[in-house]
Amino acid sequence: MTIEYDVALVGASPSNLTLAHRLVDLADRPIRIAILEKAREIGGHLLSGAVSNPRVISKLFPDWDHSDFPLEGVCRESFLTVASHRRWESVDRLFMPPYFKKEGYAIINISDMAAYMAKKLAEKAAAKPGVVVDMFPGFPARGVVFEGEGVAGVKVDDTGKPEDDILRAKVTVFGDKGFVSRDLIKKFNLRKNPQLYSVGVKEVWETPKSYQGKVWHTLGYPLMTGHLGGGFIYGCKDNRLIIGMVMALDYANPNIRPPQVLQEFKRHPNVQDMIRGGKLLKYGAAILPEGGYYSLPEKFAVDGAMLVGDALGTLDLKRFSGVDKAMESGYVAAEVIWEAYTRGRFNAETLGVYQRRLMEGWVGRELADSRYYREVFNDYPELLDSFIPRIIEGVNSGKSVWYAAMQAGLADIGGAFRLLGARKKMENPSDGMPPAKHTEDRLHIDPAFKAPPRDMPPDPAPNTVYSTADVVFYAHTHYEEGNRHIDEFDAKVCDKCIAQYDAAGKDTPCVGDCTAEVHQTLEKGGKRRHAMALENCVQCTTCEIVCPPVNLRVNAAFHGFGPNFMGL
Amino acid sequence: MSDGLKIVVLIKQVPDTSSAAGVNPDGTVDRARAKKMMNPFDKFALQKALESRRDHGGEIVAISMGPPPAIEVLNEALEYGADKGYLLSDRRLAASDTLATAYALFKTIEWIGGVDLVFTGLQTTDGDTAQTGPQIAERMGLAQVTYTETMKITGRTIRASRIIDGGLQHVELQMPALITVANSASKLEYKTFANVYKFKELARDPKALEGRVRAIDLDVIGANAARVGLVGSPTVVGKTWKLGEKGGTCKIFKGDAPAHEAQLLAGALAADGQGMEELLK
Repeated sequence: MTIEYDVALVGASPSNLTLAHRLVDLADRPIRIAILEKAREIGGHLLSGAVSNPRVISKLFPDWDHSDFPLEGVCRESFLTVASHRRWESVDRLFMPPYFKKEGYAIINISDMAAYMAKKLAEKAAAKPGVVVDMFPGFPARGVVFEGEGVAGVKVDDTGKPEDDILRAKVTVFGDKGFVSRDLIKKFNLRKNPQLYSVGVKEVWETPKSYQGKVWHTLGYPLMTGHLGGGFIYGCKDNRLIIGMVMALDYANPNIRPPQVLQEFKRHPNVQDMIRGGKLLKYGAAILPEGGYYSLPEKFAVDGAMLVGDALGTLDLKRFSGVDKAMESGYVAAEVIWEAYTRGRFNAETLGVYQRRLMEGWVGRELADSRYYREVFNDYPELLDSFIPRIIEGVNSGKSVWYAAMQAGLADIGGAFRLLGARKKMENPSDGMPPAKHTEDRLHIDPAFKAPPRDMPPDPAPNTVYSTADVVFYAHTHYEEGNRHIDEFDAKVCDKCIAQYDAAGKDTPCVGDCTAEVHQTLEKGGKRRHAMALENCVQCTTCEIVCPPVNLRVNAAFHGFGPNFMGL
Repeated sequence: MSDGLKIVVLIKQVPDTSSAAGVNPDGTVDRARAKKMMNPFDKFALQKALESRRDHGGEIVAISMGPPPAIEVLNEALEYGADKGYLLSDRRLAASDTLATAYALFKTIEWIGGVDLVFTGLQTTDGDTAQTGPQIAERMGLAQVTYTETMKITGRTIRASRIIDGGLQHVELQMPALITVANSASKLEYKTFANVYKFKELARDPKALEGRVRAIDLDVIGANAARVGLVGSPTVVGKTWKLGEKGGTCKIFKGDAPAHEAQLLAGALAADGQGMEELLK
């Protein structure tokens, strides 16, 4: 059956929900909006840190900090902390880069926020005659319907026969994490510079003490020397604590083992002090499209379609600013859609106004100002390979971060000067520098990678650290028969990859980087073969990103299958 | 039968077993606060109803009994493809046991009239009695098959097999009949996008929706209020208690290799007299 709406939103993401809110606010005549969402309930597949600048939240919910808005807390104190395996020291506020200061920011779980936004959206729409907002949780878009030079809608899954139901719309807005939008981007060859990703893993704990309003961002342990990433700890209400790790995927190590890195983070004595005697409530994982400015598509809209949020890639790694920029992209897109709706034309020209307006606004300005931030870590490998490790060493021997940084600088004065240039590029780039060039994450992986030596903290308190198999249980995944949502294109390609990594004494990247024990190699007929325990899958898509021969594709699972990230 | 079958399916809204919301400290459930769901057993009854209509045509009427918000479960039945829904909702029904509930539902089915088939689930996840279905059949004087695994309709004749200890019992009966459907009878189908969409369109027009799904009370169906609710329920709940948490100690077997660990475990079980000697041979 073909079903028609004026606006089809792919994914109930913060960006698309903001878009719908703004569009309903603007609507002074009838309009019909449909929201497709693969999770069983709105918010069920959303995961983020998150400490967010409330600049867009406050536009939609002016009373966000004193209403029923699902706020975990307002940040009162934030720290940038350098961790060795047994000590940690926070950077003196005087030397703390401004974008690590999160005071006044909203601490939120975006799954809860999305559920709240959906509830408020339904109420808002019901109060406006002729304005229809239909939400379809459990129904993912499974493919783009291309027509002419543009997009006419999406295919919607129907009991495993995707050809059955089609959602057509005057404009289709993609706010997904790539499950569907990558087809659009590929078809029109919109992204010339590949997207870069990090993988984030997160747990929510109930702790004996309350840390509400406190925010830590950490560097160093447990990441290996040379690996870009860090830890985060956010204090929530009701004695809950968010603990997470973010790790870049453009790293040589084929076996990052993200859930175990998070377990190692929890072994740190300072983290142990917080969680000892506490209880793990939830676990989840997600990817962060963090290529930033130079990974943005050439066009943000084509005939009948637009890209917002993570589908577009608005995350600003320098400011840890993802949720607010994604929401703003939806906010701006809504205004452009309303203008196009009024004129009755939804082509690349009318919708393309969105790109100019977004890039001229604060989203574009900030992304432009952070445009070299990500590249610097690849251009100045000494930053992660020697300079920061030397600071960590200093911290480990009892020095303050400031003193350790001075020592690290003095140990290599030439290098320190070079790094001053890097800092300028990160913080305040001048015009006229050539654009950053990204290489796909998978091309950084090296089967011959040798793990640098690493010290470990003392043994953790009981029931604070888990095996991957145990922690995945806390993602509350639910699947039934017929859940083949990851395609393996060619088994022979997998066999070859396994043989190559076996020879190097490693697991393949799909196994070694999986966040939920999905990918395995099993002995079958005297040969090691690729196998998947799909019932564990949290749909993070890391495997697809790191698969060296590009042999995996993660599709949106149907019928609401997958993890339950509510409260994460 | 050119018009096809008139099918009734009985559906109950129960507390969602995956959520702890609304569970009181003493173990009782506050139904107003609890998250709710369609009784999972009833999904199989609904599935069989949909299959029967697909094969033989006709109309599916879903019936539920409960407080006004329970109308959600009938809306959900429509999303799955049912044609109509009636919620029997009346304050006088509060605290009805299975006997009183069966009476009230029997009066509802009688009020609908001309019913060929009544499908129910095996039991509910909250009451767990499996009594209501058979009691309705007895009240109505209908032929009934419980624990139905397979069924085939030819004209007015139903050939069915029901699960019994050690196998299946094959029975033949005439319509009208009541069938309680086993969980293994069918593979559940999911809601389709088109059906969910159609229901949303329907729900936009309150009048049209009321033509398909509405609440009725005891007076509408002409039931005797003295036979329902607390006064009509002979069942007395003597006592409820909470099952204690199972204690026990955990022992971890550490060996050189998985096979060795399995040996240690099996050895310990055998020593414990758990009948592992056989397995070890």
